[in-house]
Amino acid sequence: MNTIPPVRTLVLVWVSLLIWLALTTATSYLHLGLGNTLINLVIAAIKLALIAWFFMHLRHSDAAVRLAAGAAVLFLFFLAFLSFSDFLTRSVLVAPWQGADNFIGQPAQEAAH
Amino acid sequence: MSAPAPAIEEASEQFESIEQQRAAAELGMWVFLATELMFFAPLFLGYSYGRWALGASFAAASGHTDVVIGTANTAILLTSSLFMALALRAAQLGQQRATRALLLITAALGMTFLALKGLEYYDEWREHLVPWLDFRFEPRYVHGAALFYFLYFGMTGLHAVHLTIGIGIACVFALRLRWYAAKRLSRQIEIGALYWHFVDGIWVFLYPILYLVERHG
Amino acid sequence: MSATAADEVRPDKVLHEESYLREGFTLRSWLLTRDHKRIALLYMISVTGFFFLGGSAAALMRLELLTPQGDVVDAETYNKLFTAHGVIMVWFFLIPSIPATLGNFLIPLMIGAREVAFPRLNLASWYIYTLGGLFVVATLIAGGVDTGWTFYTPFSTLFSNTHVILAAAGVFVVGFSSILTGLNFIVTVHRLRTPGLTWFRLPLFVWANYATSIILVLATPVLAMTLSLIVFERITHIGIFDPALGGDPLLFQHLFWFYSHPAVYIMVLPAMGVASEIIPCFARRPVYGYRMMAYAIFGIALIGFLVWGHHMFVSGQSAYASIAFSLLSFIVAIPSAIKVFNWTATLYKGSITLPAPMLYTLGFVGLFTVGGLTGLFLAATALDVHLTDTYFVVAHFHYIMVGGTVMAYLGGLHFWWPKIVGRMYPENWGRIAAVTIFIGFNLTFFPQYLLGAWGMPRRYHEYAPEYQLLNVFSSCGAAILTLGYLLPLFYLVWAMLRGPRAPANPWGATGLEWQTPSPPPKENFSHTPRVVRGPYVYHPNGPAEPQA
Repeated sequence: MNTIPPVRTLVLVWVSLLIWLALTTATSYLHLGLGNTLINLVIAAIKLALIAWFFMHLRHSDAAVRLAAGAAVLFLFFLAFLSFSDFLTRSVLVAPWQGADNFIGQPAQEAAH
Repeated sequence: MSAPAPAIEEASEQFESIEQQRAAAELGMWVFLATELMFFAPLFLGYSYGRWALGASFAAASGHTDVVIGTANTAILLTSSLFMALALRAAQLGQQRATRALLLITAALGMTFLALKGLEYYDEWREHLVPWLDFRFEPRYVHGAALFYFLYFGMTGLHAVHLTIGIGIACVFALRLRWYAAKRLSRQIEIGALYWHFVDGIWVFLYPILYLVERHG
Repeated sequence: MSATAADEVRPDKVLHEESYLREGFTLRSWLLTRDHKRIALLYMISVTGFFFLGGSAAALMRLELLTPQGDVVDAETYNKLFTAHGVIMVWFFLIPSIPATLGNFLIPLMIGAREVAFPRLNLASWYIYTLGGLFVVATLIAGGVDTGWTFYTPFSTLFSNTHVILAAAGVFVVGFSSILTGLNFIVTVHRLRTPGLTWFRLPLFVWANYATSIILVLATPVLAMTLSLIVFERITHIGIFDPALGGDPLLFQHLFWFYSHPAVYIMVLPAMGVASEIIPCFARRPVYGYRMMAYAIFGIALIGFLVWGHHMFVSGQSAYASIAFSLLSFIVAIPSAIKVFNWTATLYKGSITLPAPMLYTLGFVGLFTVGGLTGLFLAATALDVHLTDTYFVVAHFHYIMVGGTVMAYLGGLHFWWPKIVGRMYPENWGRIAAVTIFIGFNLTFFPQYLLGAWGMPRRYHEYAPEYQLLNVFSSCGAAILTLGYLLPLFYLVWAMLRGPRAPANPWGATGLEWQTPSPPPKENFSHTPRVVRGPYVYHPNGPAEPQA
């Protein structure tokens, strides 16, 4: 760990983090539908990458450390992805007492069976 | 004051060299951070489930969060990360006083975050947005909103606990600079800094998912 | 085996010539030790205690199941028994068994290190384990918990009247013990290998525990948070898992099994590591396909994270997700099968001897294969609809965990006992115990495959009369198995106190752990080992070549 970053680099990263913050906040006031969520998540990922790469010195770390960092993110993704493979593909029979706006964003269906 | 620490540092028994010890500590902290991320994971999954299944309720609930404090807090935490990175840099360059000052600023920014968070929590409690403590919400969104706020308090609360630990660590380092050379302490500060940045990184995700759901209203 | 390579004396370090067992005889020297070998023994005592506690619960269950009626205990008590059996055996015996005892003892030795990377964290890990254990014992004393070790919602969150929170707290705490052990192993293997010990010269036992450690650190925190959610739900009834309040009980199951399926690989991978040490030694041949074996370990660990939905085929999970999980579950069998083929191939044209460790290990390979194949039956969704929640599943996982892991654990204990205590165990008793356990095990669990296929449900304290004969066989088998397990308890302890002294390398094995006295000194090695070759350089008709 012999590489000490110059102040300039750190400050520039900070400035860019604040710009990304401004962007994510500002765009959330626009009607972009799913785009809002996508933008927010992508920007959050960018911010995390900047923090990890520059502040946490991942750019200078060895393979073992980078693997540790990457592995956690990967497995988080596995958990989400496969769980959602269930949620998204279920055939749901909504009960009469489940009100509007209350389940899977769909209005309650009249008893269909 | 205790005797000054020896100028040359010896590696702990199990290590061949200081460099090996440093590399072990760095890997150890990253592995620990991986476990911390997985500890938050079920909350993120629960949130994702709720956002998908109870989208309208989540949007309504998110609208009641204080986006001004939330955004300010995000900026404060990002700035604190800058100061922590600068503190580590100063330590590695042996700048005793600068390191101390930068660590204390980092801690102060963290405490500002917590203070603002506390204000938020207090307001939310007064507005009956704390589940289990007389929670009230629009009837058609109440269940989803309760779930949202459960996750909100759960995630920000857990985050605040971690931040408090980070502040404690920063203060301990600042204190130890009285007795140890900054350069020598820089190894430990490096590890503490990793923890701090992780706490910041978690918040970077918490902010949009809790404060920015359908802000356009 | 004399060291042929150049060696270095570590400068300025105090060298202890005595064995680690003689470095202090006070309670304090054990309870405040930083020596990984002593910590391993602390764990060994604890896990043995829990093994017999969990085993007692099983004994009571098998007693009840001798007759179709519920005449020994009532239904609620029976529920508490199988819950106690599961919780104790999974978290307090199987998961720590090989990693925390054999792993802790051997990993630094096998990589030529003096210690693990974080010795104090290692000790803390044992204390945390003990604290978790106290919670669980408290749960039992307070009246037990009846949710099953799986804590399924909504029963655990809304309806159970037993000590769910106390039990969940115990498991939460013991989880951190595993996490710290895993973290320690990962850093130790990455950073503390002796010069010349490249990754592909590592013994497979080290690879296996390393992969296990990755699972430990990534999966266990998910369990910790999931149990916390159960506790919050129980107290506050917000509704995360309650459909009436917008939640989903399957959310719990996804979260729970995301941990608990990899957990079974935590239980089996170290056992595979043990097998890979023992078979080459007693066949006097290098392991067949060393690199493939290492890759297979990682294949199992990685794919093992992607199959959890096979526990949920009948839960209401989407059929499409079930298809994906089923396919992945078939795929995960492939690396396991590769390992079984390679162990078998290692035996071919070997010069095979059958001391107790080898008997246990060959038993492991056979029984693991049966258990693994029946896992494939269960991975087929259509078959699983019929077999799920029957005794078929019970037999399947006991073949792997007991026929597999416990046999390998005992094999490893016997193999390394001379190294650990410096004395040889009595070989004849070792063989008698191994055979008794093998017979008892099969008599206990094979009938359960048949019972399950013929419809007997699990977790029931009474059953239809036509199942009685097979249940009687099973219970008799359990009695024999109990006897088999008691034997090593006696003769291994006897050996520790009065057995003949063991040389450094009684088996003529190749690992670094055999290049130091039995028992090792506190710092493990008097000189830094320099590794010059890979592991398992055995010859059927001549002496083996040690690694350093």
